[in-house]
Amino acid sequence: MALLQINDLIVLYGEIEALRGVSLSVDEGQVVTLLGANGAGKSTTLRAISGLAKPAAGEILFDGKSIAGLGPEAIVRLGISHVPEGRRIFPGLTVKENIMLGASNRRVAKAELSREADAMFDLFPDIRQFSSSLGWTLSGGQLQMVAVARGLMAKPRLLLLDEPSLGLAPVIVQAVFRIIAQIRQDTTVLLVEQNARMGLSVADHGYVLETGRIVLGGKPDELWGNEAIAAAYLGGHAKARA
Amino acid sequence: MDLVLQLLFTGIGIGAVYALVALGFVLIFRATNVVNFAQGEFSMVAAYLMVVFAVDLGWPYWLSFLLALAGMALLGVIFNLGVYYPLRHRTFLPVIIATIGASILMANSVLAIYGPQPQVLQGWFETPGIQLGPVYLDSQYLLIIAVTVVMVIFNYWFFEHTMLGKKLQATSQDKEMASLLGISVSTMIMITFIYSAVLGGLAGILVAPVLFVSIQMGSTIALKAFAATIIGGFGDVAGAIIGGLALGVIETFGAAYISVPYKDGFAFLVLVLFLIFRPQGIFGERVAEKA
Repeated sequence: MALLQINDLIVLYGEIEALRGVSLSVDEGQVVTLLGANGAGKSTTLRAISGLAKPAAGEILFDGKSIAGLGPEAIVRLGISHVPEGRRIFPGLTVKENIMLGASNRRVAKAELSREADAMFDLFPDIRQFSSSLGWTLSGGQLQMVAVARGLMAKPRLLLLDEPSLGLAPVIVQAVFRIIAQIRQDTTVLLVEQNARMGLSVADHGYVLETGRIVLGGKPDELWGNEAIAAAYLGGHAKARA
Repeated sequence: MDLVLQLLFTGIGIGAVYALVALGFVLIFRATNVVNFAQGEFSMVAAYLMVVFAVDLGWPYWLSFLLALAGMALLGVIFNLGVYYPLRHRTFLPVIIATIGASILMANSVLAIYGPQPQVLQGWFETPGIQLGPVYLDSQYLLIIAVTVVMVIFNYWFFEHTMLGKKLQATSQDKEMASLLGISVSTMIMITFIYSAVLGGLAGILVAPVLFVSIQMGSTIALKAFAATIIGGFGDVAGAIIGGLALGVIETFGAAYISVPYKDGFAFLVLVLFLIFRPQGIFGERVAEKA
């Protein structure tokens, strides 16, 4: 049984169908990458899984149980942690405080939280020195590290990562993906990426999303050979975003 | 010089009341992005609760004080559920109008029960005050200042050194992200309303023996506290406290040296000057967290 199974998911934003019947599955221990251009519905898929967007129809099963329609606070308690687009680090709190708050889905004493956050810096040594800096003072790459560290503090069974490479310099992107490769040793990951090369490099399975529908799915090497990938990512209609 | 010190003491005392109410304003604003126009009525209702318990029922002062604060906590819950919660997904405008409506409802409910006649509430202490060198320290003002100092320290500790405080800050900075982490946003906002109602109530109870307990006391205090938040820099906790104290001092000196009838006018004159020349307030530069 898949850890996450989505069947015919439909999400509406007002009148617009953002997702028009998405089906996908993620097995425990896998990294699954969801590729697609801007506006294809990648972020919406993650938002529906984590409870930020309400499905109009379709099923979302986590560990066999339906989670569609639950609120985000309930879903993260079940073990799905969402690191959203734009990192969303609390600007007025320190890096360590941000990371500690990642465990808000669990009941942990403050001293223990502090120890766990310190341990997290072993996985992210680059941000250790910013432990007591306020969120807004960090660079994009550092913010991404904090965001992933905060997401992991929930001790999730499934980690949803939305465009971790967005706006980062190539060398930082590589650092982020090295971390994803490390995370996968004990956490299942559903990764959303525009950067197809990096996204598939760590994946066991990939899906291509186009205007709210899955148009393609398969193992990374199967997807590489496909013309649709080239059309979607090398065709150039994906605009750069700030 | 003696007079200056005396006025400074009185000004800080009354300013401390504005600071407490302003703090309540700022905390609710930061948590909900809405200015709570009923913040002043919290002070008024708490003062009337004191009249009910300590004067009408004749219960001990400390018991009345605790009951009044408990009543304010309950009012905070009711206010949150009745005024904010149903409108939480709307824009700020319906919520602001609802707080104005709630403020009118509270004022008129009290008016219906007690009538327009102001009530008198005794101070906490038997001793009216102490002479310290050239300055006479009124005991009620001393109490106001002491309680405000304690509350400011508590507020700092609570928001900076407890996880609950951090969760409240996280909620005020990014509600959606807070909910993704498993922080119960509606609980955090409930706590904010309870805390703000108790702060406002505390101010009302403390200032009641200095002023009369009247229906209008809420709107007067709220306007001053609102001016204080703008002078300090809107949304800034330290700014609200400094702004409140500054306003109390300014209006006390204005009344003594310029004109007593225009006492309330000075607060608004300062407010207008700030809005023209420094709309971001004293601490307004620190908007970095919005970057």
